[in-house]
Amino acid sequence: MTMTAVTEEIKTEKAAAKSSSGKTLWLLAPGVLWMLLFLVLPLAMMLYVSFWTQTTFKIEPTLTLKSWITFFTSDTYLGALWTTVRIWLIVLAATVVVGYPAALFVGLFVKNKTLQTVLLVLCVIPFWTSFLIRVLAWRPMLGKEGAINMILMKIGIISQPIEVLLFSELSVIIGMTQIYCVFMVGPIAFMLGRIDPSIIEAAKDLGAGFWRIFRTIILPLSMPGVVVGAIFVSVMVLGEFATSAALSGRKVNLLGNIIVTQVGSLKWAFAAVAGVVLTILMGAVVAALLRVVDLRKEL
Amino acid sequence: MNASGIKFGLGVYTTLFLVFLYGPLVVLAILSFQTGPEGGPQFPIIEWSTYWYKHLFGLTPPSRIAPLPIDQGLGRSMLLAMMTMVVSTILGVTAAQAFRRRFTGSGVVFYLIVLGMMVPGVLVGLGMALVANTLGIERHWWGTAFVLHVVYTFPFAFLVMLAIFNRFDSSVEEASWSLGVSPARTFRKITFPLIFPGVLSAMLFAFTLSYDEFSRTLFASGRDLTLPLAIYGTFSVEVHPNVFAFGVLTTLFSFALLSVYAVLMGLSVRRAKRIAVQEEA
Repeated sequence: MTMTAVTEEIKTEKAAAKSSSGKTLWLLAPGVLWMLLFLVLPLAMMLYVSFWTQTTFKIEPTLTLKSWITFFTSDTYLGALWTTVRIWLIVLAATVVVGYPAALFVGLFVKNKTLQTVLLVLCVIPFWTSFLIRVLAWRPMLGKEGAINMILMKIGIISQPIEVLLFSELSVIIGMTQIYCVFMVGPIAFMLGRIDPSIIEAAKDLGAGFWRIFRTIILPLSMPGVVVGAIFVSVMVLGEFATSAALSGRKVNLLGNIIVTQVGSLKWAFAAVAGVVLTILMGAVVAALLRVVDLRKEL
Repeated sequence: MNASGIKFGLGVYTTLFLVFLYGPLVVLAILSFQTGPEGGPQFPIIEWSTYWYKHLFGLTPPSRIAPLPIDQGLGRSMLLAMMTMVVSTILGVTAAQAFRRRFTGSGVVFYLIVLGMMVPGVLVGLGMALVANTLGIERHWWGTAFVLHVVYTFPFAFLVMLAIFNRFDSSVEEASWSLGVSPARTFRKITFPLIFPGVLSAMLFAFTLSYDEFSRTLFASGRDLTLPLAIYGTFSVEVHPNVFAFGVLTTLFSFALLSVYAVLMGLSVRRAKRIAVQEEA
């Protein structure tokens, strides 16, 4: 009697679990399918095509390593790879250096919640302008007759306009730092805001100076924010090509620019090789950063 | 003393930081009022005028500077953003709903979805172009580019909804079920109103991200230009203040959109409060 009741119960429970897992499957299926078809398949195709044979205007599905050999023996491509890594590292460092103090102020020193929100919103507002317009906005700033040169000449710091400001690697770095540093400020400020003020109070009461508190409490506790910010910035900078196209005057060629020019001249296989190299680079960077922090836990 | 000195210093720094963020945009806005067609995209302002705004709408006599090809692009971009918004919000809500239960492989699915916002547009765009070429599918902004836009915005909608469901008290739903209300009706009457602020945010994210997206569109759309592609086309040629005027207008449009969002959000919060008050009474 009791046995049958128990088995009945188990049966219904199993049925409920089955129907709920079936429901989960149906809820997930569209999204997962979409991602498999339109994200995983294209990336797999890119990897596949990178081994195809490139003729002048066409690609043929005969497998070869030729495009890969061309990539790793050509100074242009290797140079682009190196430029990408260099610009990425510089911009990453610049966003931390430029963004951290601002995040420190917003996240830790501003106690008024309203002011804190206002400051964060002020940081985000520029994102409501088109990305391309924000990139382009640096041209009248940095140019030979641009705002910065004009101001510097007016106050007499320089007598000749600084020409290296625009259409150089420097202008690309300045532009990228301005566009991406907010992705650093946000996560850092978020982590700093979560620090329990009583810890800092306690350290103060025990006689620790600001630098000591910063080094032993604030910096370690804000590190997850820095890492999350670094993931955002890295992913975006590594995939960039518009900023360098707009601000470098074709002097800076990132892997992204290589892909765009190769596609433009129908060299699909070469573009695919550059794409795969970029994917591997990005995957390595993100994997290394994710080792430091669990993204899902921080959300 | 020391701490307040540091606070002051950081406050000054943050002000400078904001100048750094806004400076270029302010300069761009000022220069959009340069006189035309002879005034260039630099200081000094020869004469203040709205010439470039009129130029944008084709209200000026023809000059050597070609008008921006935005009229058709605007419509395409709006429609594309709308389609992307609807589809990615639906996908985001359903996927996040599934994540309310623990299931095996949730980690893999989570990273598969988040991958969509991580992979750069130039890579998926290239991949999509290759797939389309191989399968003999023609590339269009409403086809190949649209699905890529959803790949990009769906993760944002998903994460927003995940955050909403994390703070969601499911006992309200269970109460409704145990009172014999059908799941569909429960979703409409209970779940949806509760998650509405999240849905609104997801829609806002999806619309604006898609509206501004161009690296995914670049390879995946065919001949017809969307708005960002039209702007990207000006990169290679000499820049005139008409692009700046256009930048000012799109920014204003974004703010209008943001105010609509704020109003709807305010209304939904007020309604939630009113219901809470009624329940207490």
